[in-house]
Formats: sequence, structure tokens, C-alpha cells
Amino acid sequence: MANKVKINVTVNGTQYEREVEPRLLLSDFIRKDLGLTGTHVGCEHGLCGACTILMNGQAVRSCTHFAVMADGADIKTVESLGTMDNLHPIQEAFMEKHALQCGFCTPGFLMTAVEYLEGNPNPTDEEAREAIDGNFCRCTGYENIVEAVKLAAKKMADH
Amino acid sequence: MKIEGSHVFNGPREAVWEMFYDPNVLTSALPGAQKVEQVSENEYKFDMNVRVGPVSGAFSGGMTLEDAVEPEKVTIKGGGKGAPGFLDGVGNVRFVEQDDGTTLMEYDGEVNIGGALASVGQRMIDSVSKSMIKTGFATLDKALAARLAAKETGEEVKFEAPTETEFAKEVAKDMVGGVTSSAEVKLVLYIVPLILILVLLSFLFGR
Amino acid sequence: MAEKNVQKSLKRNEDPRLLVGKTTFIDDIDLPGMLHVAIKRSDYSHGRIVKLDVEEARKLPGVVAIYTAEDLGDYWRPGPLQVPPPTAIKGSVFHARPLECIAKNKVRFSGEPVAVVVAESRYIAEDALDHIILDVETLDYVGDLEKAIEPGAALIHEDLDSNLAADVVQEVGSWEKAVAEADLVVKRRLEVNRVAGGAMENRGFVAQWDENLQVLNCWATTQGPIPMRNSIANYLGLMENQVRLMNPAIGGGFGPKIMSSQIDDVVIPWIAIKLKRPVKWFEDRRENFLGTTSERDQVHYAEIALKKDGTILGVKDVMYHNTGAYNPYGMTVPLNTQTHTVSNYRVPNFFTEIKMVFTNQMVVTPVRGAGRSQGVFVMERLLDAAAKELGMDVVEIRRKNILSPEEFPLRTGVIGQDFVEGVLDNGNYPAALEKTVETIGYEKFKSEIQPKLRAEGKNVGIGICMFTEGTAVGPYEGAKVMVGVTGKVTVFTAYSNQGQGHYTTFAQVAADQLGVNVKDINVVIGDTGQWQWGVGAFASRGMTLVGTAIHNASLKVRQKALGLASKVLNTPEDELEMQDGVVRVADMPEKFVTLGELAQRSNPTRGTVEEGMEPGLEAASYYGPPHGATGYGCLGMIISVDAETAKPKIERLVMTDDCGTPVNPMIVDGQLHGGLQMGIGEAFYENLVYDDYGQLLSASFMDYLFPQASDMPDKFEINHMVTPSPLNPLGIKGVGEAGVIATPACFMQALEDALNIKGMEIVESSISPSKLYHYMEKAKSA
Repeated sequence: MANKVKINVTVNGTQYEREVEPRLLLSDFIRKDLGLTGTHVGCEHGLCGACTILMNGQAVRSCTHFAVMADGADIKTVESLGTMDNLHPIQEAFMEKHALQCGFCTPGFLMTAVEYLEGNPNPTDEEAREAIDGNFCRCTGYENIVEAVKLAAKKMADH
Repeated sequence: MKIEGSHVFNGPREAVWEMFYDPNVLTSALPGAQKVEQVSENEYKFDMNVRVGPVSGAFSGGMTLEDAVEPEKVTIKGGGKGAPGFLDGVGNVRFVEQDDGTTLMEYDGEVNIGGALASVGQRMIDSVSKSMIKTGFATLDKALAARLAAKETGEEVKFEAPTETEFAKEVAKDMVGGVTSSAEVKLVLYIVPLILILVLLSFLFGR
Repeated sequence: MAEKNVQKSLKRNEDPRLLVGKTTFIDDIDLPGMLHVAIKRSDYSHGRIVKLDVEEARKLPGVVAIYTAEDLGDYWRPGPLQVPPPTAIKGSVFHARPLECIAKNKVRFSGEPVAVVVAESRYIAEDALDHIILDVETLDYVGDLEKAIEPGAALIHEDLDSNLAADVVQEVGSWEKAVAEADLVVKRRLEVNRVAGGAMENRGFVAQWDENLQVLNCWATTQGPIPMRNSIANYLGLMENQVRLMNPAIGGGFGPKIMSSQIDDVVIPWIAIKLKRPVKWFEDRRENFLGTTSERDQVHYAEIALKKDGTILGVKDVMYHNTGAYNPYGMTVPLNTQTHTVSNYRVPNFFTEIKMVFTNQMVVTPVRGAGRSQGVFVMERLLDAAAKELGMDVVEIRRKNILSPEEFPLRTGVIGQDFVEGVLDNGNYPAALEKTVETIGYEKFKSEIQPKLRAEGKNVGIGICMFTEGTAVGPYEGAKVMVGVTGKVTVFTAYSNQGQGHYTTFAQVAADQLGVNVKDINVVIGDTGQWQWGVGAFASRGMTLVGTAIHNASLKVRQKALGLASKVLNTPEDELEMQDGVVRVADMPEKFVTLGELAQRSNPTRGTVEEGMEPGLEAASYYGPPHGATGYGCLGMIISVDAETAKPKIERLVMTDDCGTPVNPMIVDGQLHGGLQMGIGEAFYENLVYDDYGQLLSASFMDYLFPQASDMPDKFEINHMVTPSPLNPLGIKGVGEAGVIATPACFMQALEDALNIKGMEIVESSISPSKLYHYMEKAKSA
């Protein structure tokens, strides 16, 4: 077994110092080592986007990163958004527009959308669709997700 | 997968034949090959590390040369397996002397690929195999030239096989027509080394 | 009367939990001391096992155990069949070859399990797979559906004479007679491709054996908790109550998760008991493609006999149905094809034959649409071909033959997946056709818009296809409704939820009878420890069957509450009303008793009770329909095709659907959207492709093209019609599969119309730009 490597990571505002195997995937680190199971893994090869997190503000696929690559990084997962009683505007929008069914892909969509809306607070239909084009959803046909992204933009502007 | 084609080597038939019987050439043409060993006159064994993209692991196999009529033709049967999957192939190769002193090689074969090798990479092969084989032959052309030069001067053969990356870049260039730094090139660079090994293996077996 | 909840687009109870990431999916389960499983799968598609060497792998630090079929000893046995054979159909032949949990002696498809590694971590378990050596004596691969049953084909099950798995013929009227009377017979060979369920969450299983209590706790992503629980109990020789099977949150199902008696639910509980430690298996994506069942894949030789005026006299269809290496799911899929082939139209003579074929491929079991898509594809393509030959408009030929509302209920004479003769309950099919035609502007498109676009050199075409959706089949489902001492309500089911919104819709049904806020109703899904009866989530049957059981159980609870309250309030029952969590006197709202108090009173702790009294403010109910309820609709599409690249774009998509009473219209639309997405994927993107040796070439999302947001039309334009089903009190029909069924047929019709090339006909349900290009070239040179 390879030697473990010490890493320092900030996840959702909490600092963690952990020893990890060099081959440990960032997605597994977040889910298993830190117990933050809101981030889901759908394909393990970077295509479906279910495992999308923010790393230093950028949406990345945690299944194609090793935990050691996150050393020193600031990470945000779906758990950083809202709570059950106090949903984030993007979460509210997903609920209001019925933009989730099984909910497995949803955390990836939320993190992708959060990053996108930060830089593009007023997307058109087409832009909103393009923004989430890299995330897979099997349940919704995407239309309601596009609607939710637009509604979230409006909610965030009103905030 | 069926493979069929021809190539003209710039050298006499005997030299080409000799080259194909030299395990070092095989090693040089198989990126990732750790060991190619001649077990008996007509039998080779090899070990290689396939460590590219999503597919990696040790791979070992062997091949036998049958019905060899030196330096005209040979049938090759071979296969290998390991963590990434398996590969079985049979092929016929004919070497025909040309009037201008070159050698025409004609080959046809059938290769069966299984496991992750097949399910992750195989579909790409059809579209890139032509380019792969072209690049593969370029390598062998260089090898042959080096051997012929060495024969003339009596020195050791000076030939360095291209690295996996160099080879992959050549193929990528060929495939995407010089477009660089796009996501497509990255994808190609990622997948091509895998296909490279497959095609070269099948190509070598296929001869 | 309180405000009704059914038919309202209420926001979902389950959403907040899912949105904040605070729910438990199977891979989120982490028990102390848990071991992890990885499955060694055969790389070979067909061969005799010569050597299976696990010794090297066993030596790897962290590997706890490795099991092969041999290690299972007497525990190893094939089966059982999950769906019984079609004995109800006279003369049917069915050779049952249920799944082997782990291959023994022989491998029959690439991806078949040959060994199970148990290790301290998933990483180590996967490492060990690389050290397992499987040598086989390879046998010829059998993959071509027609050649598979020709003499001389390699035998997949060597105790059979051929690879024919089943042969079922059904005939209504006489095809021969139809041909004799016909002016025209049109024949086509049609192919339907193979697609994956493709749930975003792969399958998984966790087992934990409590040695002291002698109870096996299992968590599974199954769509059928009760059958899986029963299978596990049966395998292990335990009583049903010793096995508690629970559904965690499930990330999509779409059919394949219905399967049980496979390696996961057969072998993992056995390992957990043997090693006395919790064990988890969670499939990865490649494994999902290789080892989880998938569907479609049929070849049809179809014929339609007509009169000159377009009147259908008969249809004949002989289908080769690929069942893969085994047939554990009986005849469900091809029977669905038989029942959905002519179901929209008046077809007096119908001959349909299933030749089910074993191949060296993954087993075929239902995927959303499940056989229906194939039948509809065949019929709609036949009609298009006939229209062309007769010089008729495609809508006109449908108008001419469509069933009218007065013909319902209509006995079809064709036995379906529920082993009873199909009966179309009701509906207004012509209205659905006209509504779609009108919304999409068919006449104007054909007469004005298309000619103009064509003059501009643009390829734009329109398609209009009908479908029926057989839903809500038996045998039965059940539920229990209980009012708790807090006044809140729990609905107990052992159904399975993979995103359909049952936490909300089941609550809506109960709330209407009990006068309780939907948010105060807790729905238990898929927990055999809390509710023992049911079958599973398939055939778009949850809302209808479980919903009806909940409705009936809620009525009983209501009666019980009213009876009790009548005594407490000293008021006749008919003067009481239930609202806002209380039973009160209708004219004197201040005189009331809370449901919580009634619940308390219904369970006295001292004293005596009246004879026959049943404690608890609770009731159970079961519902089994005599036959399924049939939804239906009409799909319209306008598609443009780029002349250079052959890339199609869906410019408009209009769907008219009737699923009876929509319990939650928002959720109904969601189901339709998702179905349409899968249909579009099937028509143009998704394809499970095997090579000439039985290797699955599309075993990752790099090769299996998953439909993305930009592949969808800008808007799904949905029209609703509501014809309540007469079969159940709420008038519900299923809707889960409606969107997918007609999409490939409509897609191909619109493509042909867009390209307008004489002689060009698309005879397969999946097309890609390169295939489309090929078709165009072929047609041009013809």
C-alpha cells in the first residue's frame, strides 16, 4: 500500500487535516472520509456531473480528482447551500419548478448552477440550458431544471 | 475486428523478414512492453504494462508463428490477457519482392478484443485505426532504415522507438488536422495511447 | 367538505431533504465494520470455464474472502424465475432458464459474474479483481437473433435443442382472411435497438446479519422490495420476518432495478451471515452497463393488409425477441409488444408471434416503455409505409382506423403480461389525435410552412403518432393507513419509490379522506419491516394500485374515526365532519375531538372493550384490478435536418396525453418530460452495441450517449385530457411510460418527411447522423 499523504482542506468552511492514500478520489474523500454524502457519484469518469463540487470557486467533478489534488483548496459541497428549513434560492427554485425527481443528480446541478449564476446573474433560456448541459439527469427532461435556473437567478437578484 | 491492408517497405525482403523476427523490434514497436521473449523458434512471450486512461494493468501473452515460409509468408496466432481484458488474434502476412527492390507486405487478420479494452476503447478503433496503422508503419520504416544502415556500417542498430506520448501526438495531429489545445485533442490524447497498443498488437499479430 | 388535495400540483414533501443532501442513498450507508464487495465478471461472452484461479488475489492484504460458484456449495442454484411463464396462452412454449447468481462451468455473456471479492475497502476489492485468472475454452458467440435459432448455431443452454427460449402465437380473427380480402399488403422488416435504463444511481445492496436476534437487515435499490425479501428468505431458509429489506432513497429506477435473485441479493446476504460483518456492494457505471439488465432489441417481420381506401383489414407480426443469456423475467416484455401493436386502431384480424431467443448478451428485462415502444413502433411504421403506397396523408390513414370512444370497453382478444385478456377501458383516441394535430398546426405546416421552407432549401418535417400505454396491471398492491397519537398520519407501503413523488401523491390521497394536511402525512416506502404485502414498481402501476389501496384504507380509517368521534361527541356520524386534523360537529365547529385523541382512545390500556373491536385508528386495504387501465395519447414532432451534417433538431414537440385523473398534475408533467427525454435518447443517441464477439462496446458514457439538455426541444408542449378510468374510485391510470412509447416512431416519421427523399424509409428505431447520412445516400442512388 502506498504511503499516506497529509492534506489540508477547507470544506464548507471547516478545516480538515487528513492523511490519505494518493489514489483516493476526492469524491470518496468527501463522501467517506468526511461523511458529506450529499455529493453523489454517478459514473466515475467525469461525464455525468453528479459529483460536481466547487473547488476554489470553480465547479469541478470530484470523481476525476484525487484528494491530494485538493491540498490547500477551499471546497464547497451541496451541504454548504441551505438547510431544510432555510433553503438557498437555487434550492427553492428547484422545488418550486419541480426540477428534481429522484434527486440523485440534483446536488451536481445545484453546484453547477450556483457557480454559473455567480458570473451570469441574468441568463436567457438558451444560456441557462447551456449552463447545465454538462450534467446528466434521467428523470426530468431538463425543461424544469432550465426553468429553475432562471427562477433562481431572479430570486438571487431580488435577495 | 477485421484488419486488412498492405505496406511497402523500403528494403529487401530478407531484411524485412529479419526485422519481424527480432524481439527488440517488437519491443520498440509496442509501447509499454516490458519484455518480449523468444521462447522457441516460433514462439514469443511478452509482458507489458497497459497504463493509459481509464484502463490499466499488467497484460501478458504470447504468439506463435505457423506455416512460415521464409521469407515469403507466415501465419501468426496470438493472444494475451490481463486486468484490462483479453485479445485473441490470427493473421496472415505475405511479403512480396518488388522490382524496385522494395518489399510489399500484405496482411489480413481478425482480432477479438474483450473486457475493458473492448468496452471502453474499441469503438474508437474503427475511426482511428487507419491513422494508427499509418503511424505504426512509419515507426517500422524507421526501424528498418536504422537496421539497414547499421548493416552497412557494421555498427549497432541506432533506433529509438517513439515514446507513447510522441506516438499519440502524431496520431492526434493526423486525426484532428492540426487543431491544437481543443478539448477534442485532449480527448484524443487520452484515448489514443490505449488504441495505439491495441492496434499495434493486433497489427503485429495480424502479420 | 375540506379542500381537496388530489388533482392539485402540490410541491413535494420529499424535496427539501433531497435538495440539501440530507437523505440516504444506498452508497451513503456506512455501518461499523462494514466490508466491501467487488464482482469479477467474465470478459468472455461464451465459453466453458477451464480455470478460475483466485489464489493470488486472496493473498492481497485487506482481502477477506473470495467466493466462486464452487465455494457456494449447495447454496448455489439457478433462479427462481421472477415472472412465471405464460401458461394462460394456449400452445405457448417457454423454456425457463433463470439466472445463475454466479456462473458455474460456463459463462454465457460478457459481464456475467464469476467470483465475488470481499475486502476491507472497495479499492482493495477492485485491486483483487485484477489478480483473478479466468481461463475459458471459448465457444462461438451467438448474437444475431435470426441466426441464433438456425440449426447448427452454438447452444447457449446445451440441454435445449436450440436457442429458442419461447414461442407464443396469438391470433384474433384470421390473418389469412384479411389477406384474401385485401387490396394491398405492405411488408416491412423492422428493428428496435437496445437501450439501458440508465438511472443516475447504479444498483447497490447492503446486508447486515444480527446473530443475536437472528435477523437479516438488508438495504437494496430494488423496485420490488417484497419479492426480493421473499427470494432472500427462500434462499437462506429464513422466515420472511427474519429478513427486513429496506429501500433507501433510490436514484432512479426505469425498470432494471426490479430484478431480484441476482448475484447481489443472493450472494451478499449469504456472505454477511457467513462472515458476521455488514457487507456492501455498489455497482460502478461500467458494471451497470455490463451486468444490469436492459431492453428493447427485437426484429419484426410485420405486414399490414388494407383496402384501397386505407381501411385496415389485418396485421401480422412475427417478432424475434432477444432475451439475452437467460429469461428470468418470463414473457413480460414481448407480451407487452403483442398487446400494444394494434391497440389504437380497429384491426379485425391480428396475428402476432413471439420467437424469444437466447443470445450471449446481458439479460433483457423491462426498461421504461417495456415492449410497448416496440409494438407502437411497428404499427406506426406500417401505417406510414401503407400511407405512402396508397398516396394517403399519414394523419388521414390514422383517422380512418382509430378506435372511437363508443367502442370501449373493448376486449382485445390478446393476452398480456398480467395473463388476462387485454381490455381497453376507455378514452377518446380521436380527440387526442385532433388535439395534437391542431396544436402543432399540422394542416398549415403541410400546406404553407413546409413548402415555403422547402423552397428555401430547408429540410423540415412533421410526424404524428398515436400510442396506448397499458398501465396499472395486477396482481395487487396494499397499504396501511394509521393515525398516530400526535394526530399525524403514517401511510405504510412496501412499494418502491425512485423519484415518482410518492411521498407526496400517496399523502394527497390519504389527506383527502382524513382531513389532514399533506405535510402531516408520513409515507413509508419500501420497508418490509413495516408493511408486508405488495409486488413492486413496474408497469406504471404505483399511483393506481397503491393509491387506490390507500384511498380505500383511508376511507376505513375515516369510518373508524367517525364512529369513535360520534360516541365521544355524542353526535350522529352524519352530522360530523373531518377537517384540519379534528372530527367536529359540522354546525358547531367548537365541538370537536382531535384525531390524536381518537387514536389514543382507540388503543385503551385498561378496562374492557366491545366484542369485535379492532384497536388503533388504522386500517389496511388491498387493491387488485381485473385488468390494467390503458392510458393513451398522440405525439407530434417537427424536426429539421441539416443537409450537410444530417444532424436533426426537434423544433417542436407536442404531446396529448390522457392518464385519467392526475393526482398531482405537476408530477404527471414531470413523468411525461422524463419519458420523452428517454424516447429521444432511444431514437437518436442511446444504443447498446455488441461487437461480433459479444463484447459490449458502449459500456461507458463516452460511448453510450446520454441525452443532455441541449438535445431536447426548447419546450415540451403538453395537452392533457382527463378520462377517469372506470376501474378504480379515483379514476387513475398510470403515466410513467407514456412519454417514451411513441417517440422513436414519431421521430423517424418526421425525419422522413423532412428529407422527402423518394424511397427513403427508416426501418429501425435508432438512428445516428452517420446512419441517417447512409440512408440519405442510399435513397439518392436508388
